Amino acid sequence: MIRLRPSSPLLYLLYFLNLLYLATNAIPVSAQVSNDQLLNSSATPSNWLQYSATYDGHRFSSLSQINRDNVSHLAAQWIFQSPVPGFFENSPLVVDGIMYVTAQDNTAFALDARTGRRLWSYKRALPEKIRACCGHTNRGFAILGTRLFLATLDAHVVALDAGSGNVLWDVQAADYAQGYAFTVAPLVVKNKIIVGVSGGEYGIRGFIDAYDPETGKRAWRFHTVPAPGEPGSDSWPDADSAARGGAPAWVTGTYDPQLDLLYWPTGNPSPSDDGSRRKGENLYSNSVVAVHPDTGKLQWYFQFTPFDLHDWDATEVPVLLDAEIEGQPRKLLIQANRNGFFYVLDRTNGKFLFAKPYAAQNWAKAIDSAGKPIVLPNAAPSEEGVRVCPGAAGATNWMSPAYSPQSGLLYVTVREQCDLFYAHPQPFVTGRLYVGSTYMPAAKEKDWAAVRAIDPKNGDVRWEYKEFSAPWGGNLATAGHLVFTGDLDGYLIALDADTGKHLWHMQTGAAIYAAPIAYQLNGKQYIAISAGTTLVAFALPEAPH
Amino acid sequence: MNFAYLFFLITLTFASPISRQEKSASVPAPNPQAIESGKSNFRVNCSYCHGIDANGGFRAPSLVSGHFSHGDSDDAMLSNILHGIPGTAMPANDIDEPTAREIIAYLRSLQKASQSSAAGNPEAGRKLFFGAAACAQCHMVQGVGGHFGPDLSRVGAMRPREYLVESIREPDAQLSERFVAIDFGTNPPSYELVTITTGQGTLFSGVVLNEDTFSIQFMDDREKIHSWQKSELKSVVHEKRSPMPKYTKQQISDAQLDDLVAFLTSLRGDSK
Repeated sequence: MIRLRPSSPLLYLLYFLNLLYLATNAIPVSAQVSNDQLLNSSATPSNWLQYSATYDGHRFSSLSQINRDNVSHLAAQWIFQSPVPGFFENSPLVVDGIMYVTAQDNTAFALDARTGRRLWSYKRALPEKIRACCGHTNRGFAILGTRLFLATLDAHVVALDAGSGNVLWDVQAADYAQGYAFTVAPLVVKNKIIVGVSGGEYGIRGFIDAYDPETGKRAWRFHTVPAPGEPGSDSWPDADSAARGGAPAWVTGTYDPQLDLLYWPTGNPSPSDDGSRRKGENLYSNSVVAVHPDTGKLQWYFQFTPFDLHDWDATEVPVLLDAEIEGQPRKLLIQANRNGFFYVLDRTNGKFLFAKPYAAQNWAKAIDSAGKPIVLPNAAPSEEGVRVCPGAAGATNWMSPAYSPQSGLLYVTVREQCDLFYAHPQPFVTGRLYVGSTYMPAAKEKDWAAVRAIDPKNGDVRWEYKEFSAPWGGNLATAGHLVFTGDLDGYLIALDADTGKHLWHMQTGAAIYAAPIAYQLNGKQYIAISAGTTLVAFALPEAPH
Repeated sequence: MNFAYLFFLITLTFASPISRQEKSASVPAPNPQAIESGKSNFRVNCSYCHGIDANGGFRAPSLVSGHFSHGDSDDAMLSNILHGIPGTAMPANDIDEPTAREIIAYLRSLQKASQSSAAGNPEAGRKLFFGAAACAQCHMVQGVGGHFGPDLSRVGAMRPREYLVESIREPDAQLSERFVAIDFGTNPPSYELVTITTGQGTLFSGVVLNEDTFSIQFMDDREKIHSWQKSELKSVVHEKRSPMPKYTKQQISDAQLDDLVAFLTSLRGDSK
């Protein structure tokens, strides 16, 4: 290697200053993220290293430069616009000043996190007839070493070089023509790339997969519908219905390194609104499964909505925390479920501790001591339509909650909306929409929404902030005693984490289908949110010189 | 979309009026099983826009009259179902031809049930609409009339006769949602009477053009548009009824109603 050396004291000085500049301002060509860094993600809050920030699913940032005293001064720093129609439903990663963003139709971008300017772009050539029920969306990358991992709409898993966006490997997980797809952001656990499949509206058989980051070789597959003869298969008395039983796994799970258990939520049985041909409890639909990350073997499961008839996927991020319940220290898994109840489980063994409604519901009298709902009569879909709350979109959905260890509260986006559920059995055709029937918003009822702060120790709602329309935006909690949330009308909103008091809002121009993230660069804290096809980064204005 | 495919769609669209007169050889004789299966596939694939019983939804027309803007024949309907209708919100549907044929059989069965012939004189109805009944004070037809109520230039294609009768006699029964040409992901506001009291105590009655947690965009009953931050207002009351007056038999006789409905059902978006 030829090395140029300065030849005069002045040049020496310039050389030194240049090195100093590079050390403080230059960003490396690509990130380096180790398994240890992922384990200790909370130690580097300047980065956002995984879907929910940390393995426990808290979506909490310990950054506090932006706080409840100054958040009203927040101002847009840059806006990135995706050239692909549709809308972002993502959570970007930020590593050492570079933001990695996935967008519609499996496009992706690396951006300078200071300016929003593009460093590289990636576009996957997708087949014409993708089977994705609810938009050609993608929820984000995972990163390990210098590799990004993307799960695609045509049911492949792809590794990209983080420095260039070039494809390093590409493996097929399933046949997209049969209704299999990926929208999930993968999770890296113990040197494995974990993904869960979508396709609950197409009569697939759901699964969670693990892949080798170097080669793309599949390490294990956990089927979320047991095969005949396996434990749980008796919950599908009709084996044919099990073969197309759904139970997709399309939202990123969480991980406890001490217990070495991966917690992954699952979705609806197929067809979602018609149970006439799938009697039984339909395991492991609408459940959280605890599996060993090395083998994919099931340790325990908990099913929130057995024999579901209302499309109430349990695909809400399962949040992990330790707290005292009735005087006893517990390792908890908490989830505000789409069926309208907030659940608290012991995550060591899946034992049900308690559940409490956190939104309007009219389908269950209560949840019994074993965690099973006592279903009220007349909640099943009918030919003429039955009004059930929550509606099919649920009391909440995939939009991320946030948990603040500072306040001890879980912040949940709540949809207050009821639907009329209709029944009319539908024949199954491979690869075609298979939902059983349909649902409609109940006439003359205005939907509305709230961010609710739930106390995990007892399920009480400590405060709520009301919103006009039922949204799809997730939440972020920060050490600045703040909660950020995005609403359906395009507002990014900052609330006081302790009281729910409105502190700031900004109209972003499009409905928000994503959750905010926080990062820091050159001493400046940013809050970033996707809205429509744009991604906006906010920060406090710099003091005038 | 490639150009060959686009050309194919355009060809189909232009060809559809010609094929109106044709009978497709492959149409199975409607049988109860096909109609039942068509109903379930209609519910899964079509009802979200066209309404649970095909009576029309907020973004798509009623399909029970048997007269469609883009072709009445089975072949035209088949093409529209499978390939969509360019320039409209109607998408291509990922279903096979037998399934689409069953949906058509179901829609044909609804037509039989709803074939109550519309009596009345459309020309007399037109005179009422723009004259004595004062409908045009709020409703626009082909560029003539008011902005306060829904534009009715295509109402004959969008809504069945029964709905029109109900809307005139009992306007509070179903509040129309504002048509949205482009889906922003948000729910469109309805034509509901809203009463607003400003911070200064001024009262306004009107309809909402847009509303969110923080702001409201509003048309008052004189067609003046207002923009307010909700923090500037004393109250926003959604009255849960239509601003349209009820037209009782004293105001419009049954014969006049027939004339008016005959005029409205003739409105299919064609320029005259």
